[in-house]
Amino acid sequence: MDKESPLKAIIVVTATALLCSVLVTLTAVTLQPIQKAYADLERIRFIIGISGVEDSVDEMSELEIIVAYQDIDVRLVDLQRGAFDSSYDPDAFDMWKAAADPQLNVPIPADEDVARLGQRSSLVTVYLVRDGEQLQRLILPVYGQGMWSTIYGFIALENDLNTIADITFYEHGETPGIGDLILRPDWQAKWRGRKLYDEQNLLRFRIIRGEVNASSPDAAYQVDGLTGATVTANGVMNLIHYWFGSHGFARFLNNFPSIGDM
Amino acid sequence: MIRARRALLAPLIDENPVTLHILGICSAVAITNSVYSALVMSLAVISVLAFSNVTISMMRRQLPSSVRLIVQMTVIASGVIVVDELLQAFAPETARTLSVFVGLIITNCIVLGRAEAFAAQNRVGVSFLDAIGNGIGYSLILISVAVIRELFGTGTLLDVQILKPVSEGGWFEPNGLFQLAPSAFFIIGFIIWGIRSLKPQQVEQAEFESIVAPELGGD
Repeated sequence: MDKESPLKAIIVVTATALLCSVLVTLTAVTLQPIQKAYADLERIRFIIGISGVEDSVDEMSELEIIVAYQDIDVRLVDLQRGAFDSSYDPDAFDMWKAAADPQLNVPIPADEDVARLGQRSSLVTVYLVRDGEQLQRLILPVYGQGMWSTIYGFIALENDLNTIADITFYEHGETPGIGDLILRPDWQAKWRGRKLYDEQNLLRFRIIRGEVNASSPDAAYQVDGLTGATVTANGVMNLIHYWFGSHGFARFLNNFPSIGDM
Repeated sequence: MIRARRALLAPLIDENPVTLHILGICSAVAITNSVYSALVMSLAVISVLAFSNVTISMMRRQLPSSVRLIVQMTVIASGVIVVDELLQAFAPETARTLSVFVGLIITNCIVLGRAEAFAAQNRVGVSFLDAIGNGIGYSLILISVAVIRELFGTGTLLDVQILKPVSEGGWFEPNGLFQLAPSAFFIIGFIIWGIRSLKPQQVEQAEFESIVAPELGGD
């Protein structure tokens, strides 16, 4: 066959496309479990990082992290009922994947969707850090839209279920050098000890512009803004507002004292 | 035999893709702030180059010239995706630091350049050597730049402390400028200057005659 004929061109292009797609698909499918294992380990590392362990998580080996994770009580929560749910294995359930599954997700009403998520999994994974029987910290997943990307994080609450013990963000695609200021330890440290709700159980938490005025009565509910990264900081505030609002963890946190030790 | 030797060795200095052809500068600037990233990036580029050169060379008798480029790009893109997936599976932290630059190997002109200029006309074996040679040539520059940037920017090499910084009681003041991308431009510039001073045959002919301002007679 003539090398330059149109038929030959079509055959060669089709064959290349087929072979290349088989190669790429095979690689992706074979490596997917390994990549997922690393992603899970990475997530666990962040959870351990805010669980109140004494050692710095950066100095812990993978094994030490996995051992520490064994002590954490992983549960699924049905946010609508505000109660634990035991119909799935909490270690196998992937709430981020479930958010895209019509069987497992619930739409978020537009007026409550401040984090611009559209829908979320009806069951959400939470992590209980205990010392003996006593609850030390409750670690909750939070995520929402920043400026360019979805920001994923975990927030650890003290056992009063109102004071922020720590916050961490493990995945985002915000502007390098600007939006990624949310990863800075000194900024995250400012969250510690802040409160979410006031005495009337109203969500008062805010990330404000500029610095918090320590003498203001609202100071206990406020965190400094990030100069130059207002949109990202607002995104972070919105995701806190969504996840601790009535469509998020509010009902569960209210019920927790009565169901917590089940 | 001489041809094979030439294919492998010429791209190291005499026909270095970065310093002679000024290709692949984008990634050489972006990821050379640590030696480790530079090493991983070098391996990634060498693998993609070898894969694309060998594949294109095997196809060269069947490949119609009208669809040549698009087929070459498909092959290169597939190789890059495979390398990217491998990195994400076995070196996820490095994959994160290299971020988009692994994917951008697709647009690294060295890869398409070697496929089009060499592999499309030459036999498989010698094309493979050409790929390895060019990959190493690229890596040499990448690693040299990274050594300078990491050493003077942070006082470390492969994260091992070499120069003790003032903050830890030593004498060395890390120069943050070396960690920023523009420093790589200067370092690559100096390397090119150095090589061309030693090997004047690499100096390009001026494309235009320089205009000498006419003597203005004053009276």
